[in-house]
Amino acid sequence: MIKKRIIGVVTVKNGWAVQSFGYKRYLPLGKPECLIENLDRWGADEIFIQVIDRSNSNLGPDFELLEKVSRLRLETPLIYGGGIRNISDAIQVIKTGADRISLDSTYRKMPDNIKVISETLGAQAIIISTPMSFDSGMLGVYDYQKLEISLDIDSTRDIINSGIVSEMLVIDYKNEGYKNSFNRQIIDGLMIKKKGSVIAFGGITEDEQVNSLLNLDIVSAVAIGNSLSYREHAIQMIKKNIENKTLVRKPIFQSLLK
Amino acid sequence: MKNLKFCKRCLYASTHPLGISIDQEGICSGCRIHEEKDSLDWNERFEKLRKLVEPYKSKNGDKYDCIVPVSGGQDSFYIVHLVKEVLGLNPLLVTYNKYYNTPLGINNLANLRIKFNCSILYQNVNPVSVKKITRSTLHRFGSIYWPILAGHTVFPVQTAVSYQVPLIIWGAHQGLEQVGMFSHSHEVEMTRRYRKDHDLMGLEADDLISVFDTLTENDIWQYRYPDDDQLQKIGVRGIYLGNYVRWDPKAQHEEMIEKYQYKTSRFNRTFDCYDYVDCFNYMDLHDLLKLHKHGYSKVTDHACREIRHGRISREHGLELVKKYEIQPIEFEKNILEWLGITKISLDFILNRHRNKEFWNEVDIGRWEFNGLSALQPSSSNEQRMQKNINFTENASLSLNLEKEYIIFGKGFP
Amino acid sequence: MKKISIGIVDYGMGNHSSIVNSLRGLGLRVKVSNQKIELDTVDVILLPGVGAFGLAMENIIKLGLDDYIKNAVNHDKPLIGICLGMQLMTESSSEHGFTNGLELIPGKIISFPNNQSHIGWNGINLKKSSSSWLNESDRTVYFNHSYYYDGPDLYKAAITHHAFPFASIIKHKNLIGLQFHPEKSQVTGKIILKKIITSLLDD
Repeated sequence: MIKKRIIGVVTVKNGWAVQSFGYKRYLPLGKPECLIENLDRWGADEIFIQVIDRSNSNLGPDFELLEKVSRLRLETPLIYGGGIRNISDAIQVIKTGADRISLDSTYRKMPDNIKVISETLGAQAIIISTPMSFDSGMLGVYDYQKLEISLDIDSTRDIINSGIVSEMLVIDYKNEGYKNSFNRQIIDGLMIKKKGSVIAFGGITEDEQVNSLLNLDIVSAVAIGNSLSYREHAIQMIKKNIENKTLVRKPIFQSLLK
Repeated sequence: MKNLKFCKRCLYASTHPLGISIDQEGICSGCRIHEEKDSLDWNERFEKLRKLVEPYKSKNGDKYDCIVPVSGGQDSFYIVHLVKEVLGLNPLLVTYNKYYNTPLGINNLANLRIKFNCSILYQNVNPVSVKKITRSTLHRFGSIYWPILAGHTVFPVQTAVSYQVPLIIWGAHQGLEQVGMFSHSHEVEMTRRYRKDHDLMGLEADDLISVFDTLTENDIWQYRYPDDDQLQKIGVRGIYLGNYVRWDPKAQHEEMIEKYQYKTSRFNRTFDCYDYVDCFNYMDLHDLLKLHKHGYSKVTDHACREIRHGRISREHGLELVKKYEIQPIEFEKNILEWLGITKISLDFILNRHRNKEFWNEVDIGRWEFNGLSALQPSSSNEQRMQKNINFTENASLSLNLEKEYIIFGKGFP
Repeated sequence: MKKISIGIVDYGMGNHSSIVNSLRGLGLRVKVSNQKIELDTVDVILLPGVGAFGLAMENIIKLGLDDYIKNAVNHDKPLIGICLGMQLMTESSSEHGFTNGLELIPGKIISFPNNQSHIGWNGINLKKSSSSWLNESDRTVYFNHSYYYDGPDLYKAAITHHAFPFASIIKHKNLIGLQFHPEKSQVTGKIILKKIITSLLDD
């Protein structure tokens, strides 16, 4: 059976890999290529390059970074998100080395475009990235450009259920960067029927969280960011501590020089 | 310079090579994390440290409990004091021979192992290879420190694997202390990624062979990080005392001077007499190269540290920076001789690495420095604070011997 | 031993650097080309692919590569297809309407039911019992597709379980198709590529 995934996230702001806290505060980490290459060596199941300052400035995708990354000789699937505005950007991102793309604000503004992108690249290549919150019993989607929360989850649910995109990256944006704080109620409140269509992200730092999230049918993967930089072999340690050993791929400890 | 911002509290600029973020109130991430030093419960954190190291203690006292990387300078005395005397661990000390050794450093190192009664391993990499690497990195990157940083950060890890001693104990985490890269509560541990990214300018040992035609496997293999499966088999783990102890280098060194006769020296290019006394070049040519490339030098790091500890004001710090950063280097002759290059070559390299943002060539071979200190927002015309900054100088780098590198010293009481 | 050369057919879709790097890492010579003259010189042709079947066939036909590949295969040139490349080797696909493939292997490409995609790492179970080329403990490789091969069991060389068992490797004479991405499957992927190429050239 297909394994559930541990996705390593590299958040990039201003050309720097950063730690992100609650979509508000940032601490430096280093060169994105160093973090990405490290995740590849650790055997992350996928690497998600999340460039966060492109959409706001309408700069389009960070092709320079993607080109640098393609020279790293990685052997791990790559997801790229940040600044993809239209079908041409999407195609070019795949051509420059990503295997899958993540769309955020784009898809909400231009729902037609997403169908075209899906038909050209395949639903498996598309993830929609949704910062969400669960407050006062209500599930909301956060628009980080308008800085408002919308309670309209239906359009998001429709896109997932329709199969136009394969997965949804559910980001607990408020708790992002904080220890052991991912709000499970967000997942519980989603009410999406399609199995394996949700990637949980934001404030997932502890083994217990990873275990309980991966045991849910609708969750196909967890994405982890900041805390992967706090110790050596972080990905492997998480996998080692999964209770149900067949749920994820075995941890990898490279012994071959690349 | 576009988008250049300065912290309102310390002197760091947004161009800091380790990355720094400046928040909406104009305070940098380094200062913000430093605030934790005054708000965390350090007793509680020390207890956490005790619990962390407890499982590593050997039951019969017949094994080393941990590895402690040391040198003749830089917090080593305090680290060994904490590890051996406070935590009660039995450490194996390891030191990488940097070759630029001062007699004072050799003396401190000998003093360290004698006073604390510790075993110590030295790594000496064949000097011909070290010189080859250093010449190449000096030319291309303006750095004379790659082998030292590579050796200092990998030798303890290799030793952990070969001696099967998993725990490595470091002092403070540079990224945390300077730019607040991590919170103390993240309890960040040693990673290969950080070493490659920040200590080694993005170049590991194997990368050097692809970048430089003149270097071969023979020259670099000793700097290679152990494989992941070796690390995992032994359970190698590197922790930083600075996450569990309120790190204050000035206060710590002074305690070590008093208790263990740690020796210190003045420097031309900084007011701090405690750090880097073991090296003829760190506060000398290495520091000058930093000024050329980044527009600021180590004295700024020292000033920021003291500002954050509340011992000097920002204005006083800036004054000190402006005074010390333009001072000449003292030991150029030694490095020229050791590397086998001419003064003309070195001057050419030094000029080549001047960052045009901070250096203007006003005439052929004449440069004007317009560094970060000059670009700081002008401070008030307050009365200058002539307070003494109080660093104890109790010896000199050469210990009244010849000002020559001690390539290999057996030490003396 | 003479260095083996692989020709990667470039029909304008996707990125080739990963597969190029993987193959070069195995000590093979690699060319990326859509020129018949260049592809003539290689020992093995590799058909990569990411994206939609219809657009891929359109590009291949425009470049005259459909006839070229069929002809090369008829002259016993070994061919490896990866992901979409594998799918193109079959008779047809129903992705966004019906499109003919290169018709090199009997069988067709159809969609997983209920809009399910198959994304992530999954195990491959080789039919050949003497397959010691993979360590028992790790046969997981990376998949990223929404359509799969539906054809005679004869051509299925490895099975993978998703909603139901389907072919993750198809084989016919000198042709091998991999539904997964060996170039994205870390160590396991490299081992598989090496074994496949060796076995194709030994036969």
